[in-house]
Amino acid sequence: MKPSQSVHVLEDKYIEKTSTAADTPTIAKKGLSKKTRENIWGYLFISPWIIGFLGLTLGPLLFSLAASFTDYNITSTMNFIGLDNYKQMFTVDTLFWTSLWNTLYYVIFSVPLTTAGAILLAVLLNQKVYGMKIFRTIYYLPAVLSGVAVYFLWMQLLSPSAGLVNTFLGWFGIDGPAWLFDPKWTKPALLLMKMWSVGGGMLLYLASLQGVSQQMYEAAEIEGATAFQKFRYITLPMISPVIFFDLVTSTIGAFQIFQEAYVMTENGSGGPSNSLLFYNLHMWNNAFKNFNMGYASAMAWLLFIIVMALTVFNMKFGKKWVHYEGGDKK
Amino acid sequence: MSQYVSPKFYQTRSFKKKSKSLLITLLLAAGSIIILSPLWWMISTSLKTPAEIAQFPPSFMPVKFQFSNYLKAWQTAPFTRWTLNTLFIATCGTLGSVFINSIVAYAFAKINFKGRNVLFTIVLSTMLIPGFVTMVPQYILFSKLGWINTYLPLIVPAFFGSAFFIFLLRQFMMSIPNELMEAAVLDGANHWKIWWHIMLPLTKPALITVAIFSFTGAWNDVLGPLLYINDEKLYTLQIGLQTFKGTVQTQWHYLMAMSVMVLIPIVLIFFFFQRYFIEGSNISSGTKG
Amino acid sequence: MKRGLALFISIFFIISLLAGCSSGEQANQAEAKTKDGKTVVNFWSFWGSETRRPIIDKIVKDFNNSQDKIVVKHTFLPWGDIWTKNLASVAAGNPADVVINDINTVAQRAKNNQAEDLSKYVDDSFKNEFYPHLWQTVLYKDKPYGVPFNTDTRLLFYNKTAFKEAGLDPNKPPQTWAELEEYAKKLDKKNGNRYERIGFYPLWGSIGASSWMASADGGKGFIDNGKLNINTPQKVKALKWLQGWKERLGDKTVQSFQADFGSQQANPFIAGKVAMWADVGTFYTQIRDYGKNMDFGVAQIPAYNDQSKHWADGGGFVAEVPKGSKHPKEAMEFIKYLTGEKAQKYWALKNYDNVANKKGAEAAANELSRQAKDIYKMSVDNLKVTNLYPTPVEYPDYQNRINPYIDNVMLGKVSPEKALKQAEEDVKKMKK
Repeated sequence: MKPSQSVHVLEDKYIEKTSTAADTPTIAKKGLSKKTRENIWGYLFISPWIIGFLGLTLGPLLFSLAASFTDYNITSTMNFIGLDNYKQMFTVDTLFWTSLWNTLYYVIFSVPLTTAGAILLAVLLNQKVYGMKIFRTIYYLPAVLSGVAVYFLWMQLLSPSAGLVNTFLGWFGIDGPAWLFDPKWTKPALLLMKMWSVGGGMLLYLASLQGVSQQMYEAAEIEGATAFQKFRYITLPMISPVIFFDLVTSTIGAFQIFQEAYVMTENGSGGPSNSLLFYNLHMWNNAFKNFNMGYASAMAWLLFIIVMALTVFNMKFGKKWVHYEGGDKK
Repeated sequence: MSQYVSPKFYQTRSFKKKSKSLLITLLLAAGSIIILSPLWWMISTSLKTPAEIAQFPPSFMPVKFQFSNYLKAWQTAPFTRWTLNTLFIATCGTLGSVFINSIVAYAFAKINFKGRNVLFTIVLSTMLIPGFVTMVPQYILFSKLGWINTYLPLIVPAFFGSAFFIFLLRQFMMSIPNELMEAAVLDGANHWKIWWHIMLPLTKPALITVAIFSFTGAWNDVLGPLLYINDEKLYTLQIGLQTFKGTVQTQWHYLMAMSVMVLIPIVLIFFFFQRYFIEGSNISSGTKG
Repeated sequence: MKRGLALFISIFFIISLLAGCSSGEQANQAEAKTKDGKTVVNFWSFWGSETRRPIIDKIVKDFNNSQDKIVVKHTFLPWGDIWTKNLASVAAGNPADVVINDINTVAQRAKNNQAEDLSKYVDDSFKNEFYPHLWQTVLYKDKPYGVPFNTDTRLLFYNKTAFKEAGLDPNKPPQTWAELEEYAKKLDKKNGNRYERIGFYPLWGSIGASSWMASADGGKGFIDNGKLNINTPQKVKALKWLQGWKERLGDKTVQSFQADFGSQQANPFIAGKVAMWADVGTFYTQIRDYGKNMDFGVAQIPAYNDQSKHWADGGGFVAEVPKGSKHPKEAMEFIKYLTGEKAQKYWALKNYDNVANKKGAEAAANELSRQAKDIYKMSVDNLKVTNLYPTPVEYPDYQNRINPYIDNVMLGKVSPEKALKQAEEDVKKMKK
């Protein structure tokens, strides 16, 4: 649990800055000190989460951590084998490296692309133009669609000769690639799919944009600010807490990409030349096809460390640009 | 506003604004076509006969619209019951999700209690472990609690908060200026009142987002109901959709028809709930609405 | 503060109410016996479609009516996920009593203690009811852990109209690889640079590189009796042969054909885009339903040369009793009915599927007529040259290790010799 402690240290500084409303002096009531009362309120408010965490989440988490040091096969054996699973990952299992590489590729491209796409879309959809309600619904639609039907739909759209995507590219004289059948293009194909359903992220930013004061824009306009300047100096800082949230969670989400690859590669075979064998897919195969849950757990906890490190980085870096309206006083 | 600017200035501004919104409308309309064209394939397949689907190259428009596919698909299984089941699960989960996550997030954003940062880090870290490896122990746990074949494993966790939503709402709440709460504190309001009277109204767009997300999530969940429900009467829509996917042949016309139908309630919910985005706007600036 | 407490209390009240309601329902579910004292056997399958569901439900109903001690309750679970759920419920100790599972991985589940040993319920006469190559597959350390239910085999479907057009005798399908290639070239139809029809491509349909490689190697798979058999001269030859097809047709052609039909909505053989097609016997029903009176013939998969056999590979499903079932004896009663002649014949006829019970298969063949009968008979006869390649317990994921190497060969990235050598090393390293 070392990484989480370091996050805690960072978080400490990071949250410290943000003072709370109750910092303002009030008259102490009922003889309890202000500090004690804050503690009681705090724990009372988070008690549902604490109960759920202790009751439902913690047990299975610790169990999987313990399993990562065993040959746990889900149904019978669970012998302690030390660090063997971890050793195997680094030294023997070549597919582990393939899957890690594929996943990193996906994370590096999908996170910035979807974040930028969602912000842009949200800004456009936050204008007051006719029919906006319908536009918003249309752009949100793909985020709602899920399941097998969508993936099969995309397999048809990405068909090299008759698919809609390559037909579209053809209008511009571009000879489209073979997408899901060419190992070089399988991951871009998934990115394209992901961009199509960027509406989920858009919704977050749209909600966040509602908190941006119109008066600030008007003041800026009077001072002759350009649209870009308004975006850069008003919009971006005001929605930065949500950008931060989106970055952190979509990084986590991208590392855990699974469903798309599972459905589109015939039950997890990994696609041409294993180009879609993502980390979680390899983990799933180990857990439920090979019944090697110990190994899968070890993979999961290694991923935990990697993503935790990235989250720490995000937090550290985030301090520089995330602007909390409620916490700039100190 | 136009009261204290010259008419000339007003006119150019208005002109600029109009051309700007025309441009945006055109841009959005063009984008809509790109977004919607994949959906057209879905709808068009849902209206074809199996023989027409088996044709190559696929036809863009069904030769004869088979609207009866929708009715037939609905009748192949107890879809009415399954819809009500899904609605029940999603509604309960959403209610729990919106309130509990908001309370917990309020504490993490605005109450300075001991151990807050450590606990928040733990909240975040629960998101980092892929669900597969905790799935079996969790199943065993729910099984020991006697919750198998009930909706409890699908609903109760929503009442204990989820890391994703806690984090999201915390971010929104941290952007709310403290000045707005200070007046209330001076009036002797406690955190409960601040949360209820100030925080909830101010974060309405965020709460609606959480509601939409958690409803959609529950609506589209396949693995959860599938693992925990043993009785077909208690099944949900998404499991129902899987009946059309065969080992040898998939009934595409039914699968697509039902996929379209499953989509409709969510679209309607989104369409009507989004007005809160507009209503909730600009409260934080206090004056202009 | 008071209101806060009130809210919490009411929320927990709602939860407990929910818990109360549904655990009442649960209690009913968990009951092992019906009111009139019959034992409930829970049966999970993935047959939920409009076509399959009524068939399996009829078999279940017939069984329930045939005796008065057991009531089978059939539950549909989606393909793939059914086994995840089975695994979780075995781990939790409350599994179903009968579950349909993949035939090629029975030994793996037996080894990992997921299925009950059925040896005390079966004798030699029961065992002899099934095709021997299927029974062989359900054994782990000589004990059966499942009963074969259905199976399949590969056949070559060919378009007679296209044969005539290309000047080939429609009653003489290709017998060897060489003939297959020769015919395929004649059946290719080009319009400029674009193929309008492709004679044959060995990796399309229900067949893969591993099938051809086994066929060239005397029917031996990648792992033969526990020994690695990946890097053999015959397999290298087969892989080179496969590579030749791809080179001749070109990457682009192969990819675009594959993709056009990849979503499985339209079939290229039925659409007349491919003249010869390797698929399972049940493929006949698709041609029957969507082929618009297509004139086609069926043959065995061509042999490596005129001295070797027409090897084909097969798969199938078994009925298993998950470990920890509360009523294994009653479950087995049902399995015996399910795999008995009557139910098997019914299943075979209604689904046009190959079944595991020999008498059931023969009875079904006799009841069909004309082309349906001929093709069904041929698929039954073909079981003699059909091999199953069960996943060995020592190498649970050998396919995932080998496939990318084969993909890379087909993409021209690596030579067949080198690929198979490396694949064998990789698989060896992962031995359990």
